[in-house]
Amino acid sequence: MAVVYIRMRNRVQAKGNQTVRIKDIARIIGPEEVITKIEEIILLTVKKEDKNIIVIDLAQVIMAIRKVDPTIEVETFGPSQTIIEIILSKKKMSYLSFALVWFLLFVGGGMTIMNFHVDVSMGEVHQKIFTIITGKVEDKPLLIQIPYSFGLGMGMILFFNHFFKKRFNEEPSPLEVEMFNYQQDLDRYVIMNENKENVRHLDDR
Amino acid sequence: MTGKIIFGIFVGLAGGFATGAGFVAFLTVLGVIPRLTQLTKTMKMIHYYEGAIIAGVVAGTWLGLQETELSLPHFLLIPIGLADGIFNGMLAAALTEVLNVFPVLSKRIGIQEKIIYLLMALVLGKIAGSLFQWIYFVDL
Repeated sequence: MAVVYIRMRNRVQAKGNQTVRIKDIARIIGPEEVITKIEEIILLTVKKEDKNIIVIDLAQVIMAIRKVDPTIEVETFGPSQTIIEIILSKKKMSYLSFALVWFLLFVGGGMTIMNFHVDVSMGEVHQKIFTIITGKVEDKPLLIQIPYSFGLGMGMILFFNHFFKKRFNEEPSPLEVEMFNYQQDLDRYVIMNENKENVRHLDDR
Repeated sequence: MTGKIIFGIFVGLAGGFATGAGFVAFLTVLGVIPRLTQLTKTMKMIHYYEGAIIAGVVAGTWLGLQETELSLPHFLLIPIGLADGIFNGMLAAALTEVLNVFPVLSKRIGIQEKIIYLLMALVLGKIAGSLFQWIYFVDL
C-alpha cells in the first residue's frame, strides 16, 4: 500500500477540447511508480457546453484515483478544489474600448476634482493662505495652485506606488491588493456555485 | 455674563471635539498615514506623524480663523502648495481605491496588465482639471 500526498492547484487554464489529467490540476508527492500511474489519469475532456469555468472537487480526484487502484492511500493538503478556466479563443483587447475608457477616466477625473474644489471652496482657502503668508491680497494665487495641481498627481502616484512601469519598492500597491481581493471573491463565488458537489437542491433529480 | 461665557466656551469646545473626531476618523478610514509609513518604512515613527497631523490641524484652524499676516517671502508658497497637493492627491487616490472601480473595470474590458495606463488617465485628468480650473475657469 502506498501513500500519496495531493495538493490541488488554485487556478489553472485549459484550452477547448483539451483532456484534463490529474497532473494538470494537482501536485502529487509519493513513490515514483505510483505517481506516474496517477498523474496520467484523465478526469474529463473540456467540451463546448462547459462554457468558461469548470470546478473540480478533491472528491472527484480521489474517486478517479480509487477507480484505478483502491489500495492507494491519499493524503490531501492545500485547497480542496481547482478552478479550470477555459480559454476558447484568446480574447483580443479592443483598443477602441480601451481608448474610450481612458478618455472617460481622464475627463471624469478632471471634472470630479473641479467639482470637489468648488464644493470645499478651495480657491478661497488658497487666497487666504496667500494673504497669511505674504500679507498681500491676490485673486489668482497661482504660486500655490500650480504646485498644488502637480502635487495632486504626485500624491496619487505615490499612493498607488507606481510611476508608469517603475515602482518605489517591492510591496504590492493597494490597487494590486484590491485586484487580488476581487479575484478571490470571484473565485469563492465560482467554487460555491459552479461546483455541483456543494449545492444540492430539493428538486435536483 | 459669566454664564454666557461658560456656555460659549462649552459650545466651542463641543464643536471642536466633534469636528476633530470626524477628521481623524476620515483619515483613519482612508489609510493615508499607514500607506506613507509603509512607503518610507518608518512604522516606528507613527506617533510623531499623529503629532504632525494634530499640530497641522491646530495651526491651520488658528491661522484660518485669525487675520494673521506673516509677511514671509513669496517662494514659501511653492512647497506649501506642493505638499497640499500631494496630500490631497493621496486622499483622492484612497477614495478611488475604496470605490473598487478599477478591479471591476479592468475585468470588464479585459486589460489586467494595462491597468496602470487607466490609472495614469485618472492622474493626468486630475492634474489637467485642476490646472484648467485655477488658470482659466476661475476667470469665467
